[in-house]
Amino acid sequence: MALSVWSVLFVNQTELFGYTRAEMISYIFVAALLQGLILATALHGLAGRIYSGEISTLLLKPMSLGSYFAIEEIADKARNVLFTLIESGILIALFQPQIMFPQLAVFGMFLVWAFGGTILNFLFSLLFGTLGFWSPETWGPKFLFFIFIDFSAGKLFPLNILPEWLQTVLFLTPFPYLTFMQSQLFLGKVSPESILQHSIIICFWIVFFFLLNKFLWDKGLKNYAAQGQ
Amino acid sequence: MSQPVITVANLKKHFTVYKKQPGLLASFRSLWHREYETVAAVDGVSFMIEQGEVVGFIGQNGAGKTTTLKMLSGLLYPTSGDISVLGFNPWDRKSAFQKQFSLVLGQKNQLWWDLPAMETFLLNQAIYDIPETQFRKTLDKLVELLDVADCIHIQVRKLSLGQRMKCELIAALLHNPKVLFLDEPTIGLDVIMQKTLRDFIAEYNREFGATVILTSHYMDDVKELCKRVIMIDRGKKIYDGSLQNIIDKYARNKTLSLVFSESVPKKSLTTFGSMKEWNKTSATLLVPRKEATKIAARLLESLPVQDLNIEEAPLEAIIREVFGTQAKAA
Repeated sequence: MALSVWSVLFVNQTELFGYTRAEMISYIFVAALLQGLILATALHGLAGRIYSGEISTLLLKPMSLGSYFAIEEIADKARNVLFTLIESGILIALFQPQIMFPQLAVFGMFLVWAFGGTILNFLFSLLFGTLGFWSPETWGPKFLFFIFIDFSAGKLFPLNILPEWLQTVLFLTPFPYLTFMQSQLFLGKVSPESILQHSIIICFWIVFFFLLNKFLWDKGLKNYAAQGQ
Repeated sequence: MSQPVITVANLKKHFTVYKKQPGLLASFRSLWHREYETVAAVDGVSFMIEQGEVVGFIGQNGAGKTTTLKMLSGLLYPTSGDISVLGFNPWDRKSAFQKQFSLVLGQKNQLWWDLPAMETFLLNQAIYDIPETQFRKTLDKLVELLDVADCIHIQVRKLSLGQRMKCELIAALLHNPKVLFLDEPTIGLDVIMQKTLRDFIAEYNREFGATVILTSHYMDDVKELCKRVIMIDRGKKIYDGSLQNIIDKYARNKTLSLVFSESVPKKSLTTFGSMKEWNKTSATLLVPRKEATKIAARLLESLPVQDLNIEEAPLEAIIREVFGTQAKAA
């Protein structure tokens, strides 16, 4: 759908919001691939599984809960990426759009950032899971979060079409690192000097959310009532 | 003397729950004003269990049995008190500890619903690091003992409750746990299946010298498997000792069931004991336990008795009596 909307917008112009037609189409494909890789998660029902006591059987086994969820997530993502690649392949074959491909070194960095974004989103999923230690009502906050992600991660449109002040605010949060920054890197819109700076910011958010998770999981498990199970 | 396998000292688990009145208005009110209450699910329980013992945990619903088992397994964090199982603090959830015990909850399954039980067994082999030869040996033995060779390759959702419970037990025992916590393992099963599982648990205990704690509402489970029982009432331990002691202490009466060759008037029976049932040619009498045989002899002499049966009071009744006495004392 995004492809059709932007195609129509580009009919009478060669450049929009600083993007050429080829760049915008590349953005859409890369963002779709990143969505399957970073934002899709198998852990949507985690809070419910905790609240209902379903995780009891996992807690009794000699394995780490974090690794178990990570493996669930990897299996889910492998499937997502496979299907997104097939889907994109068909679309590319049909429309034969011009897609820009970065230099190998930049592409390598892109993969590293995509991996960082994946870890970040995994930590978000675990964080939402902890709600299940205290409340069955997790649908509301999650719904708001996903709506917010749609706009703030660059899922629907590139963030640099937003007003300057809004971009500044968004870059104080980790959300642009869930799709937007990776696709900017892919399109060659990140200057080599700022790659290190953004890499440090991604690392900072990963460490921050890792520690927050650890704190909340330790607290939550002490509160865990293993209900009904 | 050997070290106890399980030591529990002054164990407590308190839950905070909030009370809400029914109705929409009360729901709104509860948004800013909530009444909290602390419930003592387990309240200062202490005991020790030696290796190879099979101990029955008895108590009414909500007495704190399952909560205690969950703390012994490291699922729940105790409010206070000390626990040591096989020398470990369960809450640390060390792999070395988790590889040596198993908790089986009768109403909950660890089997993958949409896959054959064999898949869960293989997953457990990987999780518990069970060497291939040991895995095959244990699996073959358990499958044979429980007679489920035909079921383990069928989707779990297609199995009957009894077959599923047997597969659950296999999944829980593949790593040869030294300590076994069984919470209502026979719940919902028919009498034949209950008996099969009981025999199996007894056999497992004998063969592996495993320590077993069992909770059950079926007194037959307790009677057949446990020499020792721990009784819990409202989070407190009210008895810890041999099952026979309870029977001796609380079973004051025995039941005499009589069948007569001709009709016998009610009046001539009341002198022997208290009448429970009577319909001319048959009767049931309650008599003091110690005098049961003497009274039976006198009955045979003085009345046209065709058949006579002396029975111990059912364990359920004895347990009810113990809890009743405790409630009055409290």
